[in-house]
Order: sequence, then structure tokens, then C-alpha cells
Amino acid sequence: MAVVEAKGLMKSFGGKSILRGVDIEVSEGEIFGLVGPSGAGKSTLMRTLTGYLKPTKGEVSVFGRDPFRFDAADRRLMSFMPQSFVLYDELSVRKNMNFTAGLYGLKLGRRRQRIREVLKFVELWEDRKKTASRLSGGMKRRLQLAAAIVHEPKLIFVDEPTANLDPILRRKFWDEFRLLSGMGRTIFVTTQYLGEAELCDRVGLLHNGRIIAAGTPEELRRKAFGGEMIELTLGGDPGHVGEHLAALEVVGRVVEVKEEVGENAASRTRLVVENADVALPKVFEVLRDADVRSADLIYPSFDEVFFRLVRGV
Amino acid sequence: MNSLLRIRAVAAKEFWALARQPQLLALLLIGPVLIMVVFALSFDAGSYLPRAVIVVEEDSEGEDIFEQFRRQFTERTDFQGVMRSVDEADEMLRNDETDAVIIMPSEPSARVAESEQAVLEVHYNNINPIFGTTVPNRANGLILDLNRSIVREGIAQELQAIRPTQEQVEELNVQIEQVNETAESLSSDGARQTTADLDNALGNLETTLELLSLADDENEDIQNALEETRNSRELLGEVRDAQEEGADSVQEQAGTAELQSSLAELSEESAALPADVPAQVLVNPLRLVVDNLAPFEPDAAGFYAPSTLGLLIQHIALSLASLAIVRERLSGAYEYFEVSPLGAGELLIGKFITYLFLVVAVNMAVALALVSLLEISIQGSLGMLASVMAMLSATSIAAGFLLSAVSRSQLQAIQVSMLAFIGSGFFSGFLFPLEELDQPATGFSYLLPATYGIRALRDVMLRGQWPATFDLIGLAVYFLVCLVAARLLMGRKGAA
Repeated sequence: MAVVEAKGLMKSFGGKSILRGVDIEVSEGEIFGLVGPSGAGKSTLMRTLTGYLKPTKGEVSVFGRDPFRFDAADRRLMSFMPQSFVLYDELSVRKNMNFTAGLYGLKLGRRRQRIREVLKFVELWEDRKKTASRLSGGMKRRLQLAAAIVHEPKLIFVDEPTANLDPILRRKFWDEFRLLSGMGRTIFVTTQYLGEAELCDRVGLLHNGRIIAAGTPEELRRKAFGGEMIELTLGGDPGHVGEHLAALEVVGRVVEVKEEVGENAASRTRLVVENADVALPKVFEVLRDADVRSADLIYPSFDEVFFRLVRGV
Repeated sequence: MNSLLRIRAVAAKEFWALARQPQLLALLLIGPVLIMVVFALSFDAGSYLPRAVIVVEEDSEGEDIFEQFRRQFTERTDFQGVMRSVDEADEMLRNDETDAVIIMPSEPSARVAESEQAVLEVHYNNINPIFGTTVPNRANGLILDLNRSIVREGIAQELQAIRPTQEQVEELNVQIEQVNETAESLSSDGARQTTADLDNALGNLETTLELLSLADDENEDIQNALEETRNSRELLGEVRDAQEEGADSVQEQAGTAELQSSLAELSEESAALPADVPAQVLVNPLRLVVDNLAPFEPDAAGFYAPSTLGLLIQHIALSLASLAIVRERLSGAYEYFEVSPLGAGELLIGKFITYLFLVVAVNMAVALALVSLLEISIQGSLGMLASVMAMLSATSIAAGFLLSAVSRSQLQAIQVSMLAFIGSGFFSGFLFPLEELDQPATGFSYLLPATYGIRALRDVMLRGQWPATFDLIGLAVYFLVCLVAARLLMGRKGAA
């Protein structure tokens, strides 16, 4: 079941188009990553999906309803974690949590229990009496995440949660998202770190206000390269690689050949095939006379995937 | 050198940062100038005409006098009409429906006939020890003008019930006859006594005429009579000199004949002169009695206490509330709230409750400090005071919310709050009475919550009464308009 759905979504500001016909679908319980460079329109798309902005054109539905017309009960089903810290520096961690829990209508008894649970979840329970101004940047993000999940929303919109964080903290956030996803929450997350797309169940690549590709990370790779990629390392004189190319083209599509000269002269050839499991025996068959040092199924980085998909547009 | 470069970099950055905010600059420059220009155009302490009603008995002599000199009343006041009941007129005064009640004496002639001045009573209701003298000043001007006009118009002629000047002249003639009859023995003691009495009588008449002349220097009758009297005294002086020198009787008789002729003329001209009443009564038949009905006349500190509180309440509330929305919007919290179940109305009400409590509590504390430290008296109850403070606070908070909803930055919001504070000093009645302001300042006045609030606080603290309905309704309407406008401006962003 689609929790979030957009069709032909367009949004303009002062005649300037930011979103130019976005189609998107997010299923229940998945982590959907909206990936794209700065200025691609990620925040605008998220604001439109949360109902903060009204689309210029197109349709948006969240839980089957127009989020711009959500009532308070509808809004309790979701939450939003903004990119920057928007809670109050002058309040303690617990008071900030109390405030947010109050916004979502949690009654006092339940509120205390949930605040304890979520602060422990984000590892801020010990710091609950500290004022927010005394927290580090990473702790503030975690406090913001705790505030976003305190009322147990079914859908969480998270805007660039890992921007400017160190890799360890970034990883920790994704671990927490995975745990939340395991609890059945749907997470819609934007990130400019293309590598984080790998950590999503499904990914939408946003470029110039358009979703240029959407699917699982694997599907996107396949779409970017036309299939799975095998990297072959052949020993011997790199000049002889050409002798095998014709045979390899029968199995798949050679997309890259790199030659390494010197004492351990070798060549690296990348071959895109429909299915690596099926193709590999055939590869070894056609290269039986060659000095095959390795044949690996490789996963190109999402930077490369994104680059190829954008170039394809 | 490096230091200079760094300073130059900072200065250039500040310049360009300010230059990129033309609205803020305009506000900084135009705001104070506009306030001063409006004030200069609108303030003229001398032009204010107090509203006034006249109370006069129907078909009385007082009503005739009022009608006869109506212009003197209407030129000095914003004349509202004639009433018959002093109590009803005073009630208007207490309800601030008029500024002055002028009570005409019903039978002024009767009082003057008794050699007493008739009393023109003026009631007013003002607690301002600095600027509250407009009505008494105007009343003084009115009474001077009325007295002059009454004398000029010869109203005193109608008051003839006492010894007329005509009689005095006739007495003089008798005395002259006596002089003539005793001409042969003019040097006798009796003759000398007679001329001395005559001189004395003429001296009295001259003094009376001189007083009349001072009061009405344009009256030709009085001037002519005065001249004749002086001539007569000169002639009589010659007669008395002759008595002293023992001149012959022909000369003396000729002298008295000339004197008789002169007195005949005087007699003729003085026929139109006022009655012989005391000079003070004759020159000022009306006497002014001014009565301030204000229940309490504070000193300057006491008078300015409610104004200061009013201004303080507006400033604190407006400043706090003006940051309320713009700060949330700039921090991103507003978007966070928009996505949450929290409605814009709930956000406003939540902030409103805290600000209201805070502002009222702080200002009640200030009021109590004024009472205990400066011995400022509060005529109304503390409950009444808290209620009015709450109304003014609520209105100022609502105005602050509206300002916050339209402000683009916190600096802009604070800047407008400061301008409102300065403007209130001039236009809210804090320093200068509103009645002495004209357009366009009056228009500005009613855009300031403090205008209603200061008046309301004065009513409570200085008069011990509930504020005027106009001010209560003004605050309520202002509150609702600002709150609704702020709420509408805070609605979700539409499609661009």
C-alpha cells in the first residue's frame, strides 16, 4: 500500500519551476531515500509532501488524503525532522521533549514513558537535564530525531539528517532508521550523500526538479549500467586484451577497459551482463585461454550511478 | 596596516549588509522624521476648543444675555448646545461627553442691583496638572469679553434702580444755584463749603467715568461725559481760586454761568450713563467661578503614573509578541509546527496566554512599587486595575502578533516596536493631551493601543471609575482585528 504518492507534482516560486512533474510512490514500512545534489528540489518536494506547501500542479496524497488539507488527527500519523535544530536552546532536553510530546497530544503518563523510551533510543537519557545549548551538533540532531518519533508516527519525514555529521554519527543515524523501519515505520529521508542511497529500501534520484530514476539501489544500478557489472582482471600483455573483447561482447557489454603496465602488467575489463550468476560461467568459457586473475561482481558507487543516470537524461 | 584592512573589511561588510535592507533603512530614517513632521503639523496648544454646553434657565434674563452675546460663547468653545439642568450637564462632563459646563446666572440684574456681581459658573473635569488649564483659561477670556461687551452694549442702563448719574448732575446744579445765590458773599465760609462739595462730587463722577472708560475705551458717550466733567472741574477750580483771591462778584458769576452751561451739557450726555453702582460691579457685572469636578487632582508624578504604566505595558507586550512569530519562522520551528497537529490559532493562543500573564504580572508589580515607593495613589480597585491592564496587554500582544506576522526579520520587528514606543510618547496622550492634537496626528493616535489604554488607566487610577465605553470598545475591536489579521497571515503557504 502506498503511504505517500505524488503524480505530476509541480511547484513554482515566482514563476521559477522547482519541481517539474514529480511522480513518486512510497510504500508502508520502507525507507525511501530522496537523493540528489543541492538545489535539486529535495526540500521543496518534502515540504509539499508534508502539506507545508501547496503544489502548483499535480496530485499529492499521504495516507490517501491531500496533506495540505490534513486535520490534527491526520498530522498525528506523521512527523517531520527538519534539517536544522528548531527546538529551544534555552530549554533542557526533557523540557524540549515535553513540549514536542504536548504538540502531538500525548497525555502525561504516556508522555513520561515515551520520553524515557525515545531518549534512551537516541542515547540522550543521561543528558536529559542538560539545556539544549550545551549539546553537541550530533546530540542536537538526535534530540530532534527523538522529538520526531516520540508520538510513534507511522510516517517520518527526515530532511538531510546526516548533513555535516562525521561518518560514524551518520552510520548511527542510519542504524536508528533501520530499527524504526523494523518497527513498521515508513521513513522518507532526503540526503545529498549519494552513498547513503545504498542504505535505503528504495531510492528516488531527483535532478532539476524531476525524478530521473526510482527503485531499489540494485534496480538503479542496473538501470544506470544496463545490468550487473563484472570486473575481470587479466594478466599478461595488456595488448592482447583486444583478442578477447569480441568473445566477451557475446556474453555481455564491455563498458570499460583499463590497462596496467609494468612488472605486473594486467588489464581490467568491466563487463555489464544481464545476470552475473548466469554470465560468469560463460565468461570463463570464452576466456579459457586467457590468464584470468579475478572475476568479481562489483557494485559501482552511487556517485557513479547518479552520474550515469543524469548523463542519460 | 593589516589591522586597517581588517577594519575596512568589516566596515564594508556592514555597509553592504545594511544597503541590502532598504526597508529597514527606510524605517530607520523615515520613521522618526515622520513622527516629528506629523507632530509639528498637528500640535497647536492654542487652537484647541473645548466642547461646552450652556446651562441657562428658560425665558430668563440669563437666556436673553446668552442669546445677545452668543458669539462670545461659540467662538471660544466647540459649542454643543443649551441645557436646562446642571445635573444632566455635569453627568455629561463625568462621562467625557463634554469638556465644560457654563452655567449662566438667571437674573444678573437683580444681583447687580444689590451691588453684587452676578456669578457665571463654569464646571470642568480635568485631572491633568500640567495641561489641564485650558477650560479655566478659556473661561477667564470669556468672562472678560462678556463684561466688556455688556458694558459696551449698555446693558447696565437696564439695571437702573439706584441713584442715576442724572441725579448727581442735578445735585450739582442745585449746588451751583447755591453758589449763584451766595455770589455776593462768595468768600463766606458757606460758599466755600458749597464749592468744595461740588468739586468733591465732580471728582467722584470723574473717577467713575475713568473706570468706565478703562473698561470700554471705545464708548464715545463715556469719553464725552468724562471730558465734560473734567471741563467742569476746571471751571469750578477757577471759581474756587476766585474765592481764595477775593475777586469781584461779576467775574465770579460769569464763572459760575459758564460752569452751569458746562454742567447742562454734562447732564444731557450722562443721561445715557450706567447706574451708580460700585465701580467693580459696574465694570465687571459678571464674576467667574470655576469648579473642577474631578474627584482627585494628582500631582505631576501621580498624573503620569498611569500614562507610564500604559506605555510600559504596550512596549513590553508589543516587543515580546513582535518577535513571537518571526523568530519561529526564521529558526524553522514554524515549519515544524505547520507539519505537526498544532494549528496556527493554537500557537497564537498558547503564546498569548503566557505573554498576557507575564505582562500583567510585571506591570501590577510596577504599579504596586509606585504605590509603596512613590506614594502614588490608586483610586480604583486592584481588580479594576488588573482588568484594564489585561485589556491593554491583550491588545498590544495582538498588535505584536500582527507585526510579527508581517516582519521579515527580528530587527525589523524590534525597529517597528521602538517606533511605536516613540510615537506613543507623542500621540497617545502620554505627554500632550489628545484634545490638543489635530489631524494627521489624531489618526496616528487611534492606531496605538496605548491611546485607549492610557485613558483607561487614568480613569481607573485617578478617577476610580471604569474606563469610558469608547476606550473599552476601542481596545476590544483593536484586539480582534489584529488577532484575526495575524491568524490569517499565518495561514499555510499557498501555491506560488
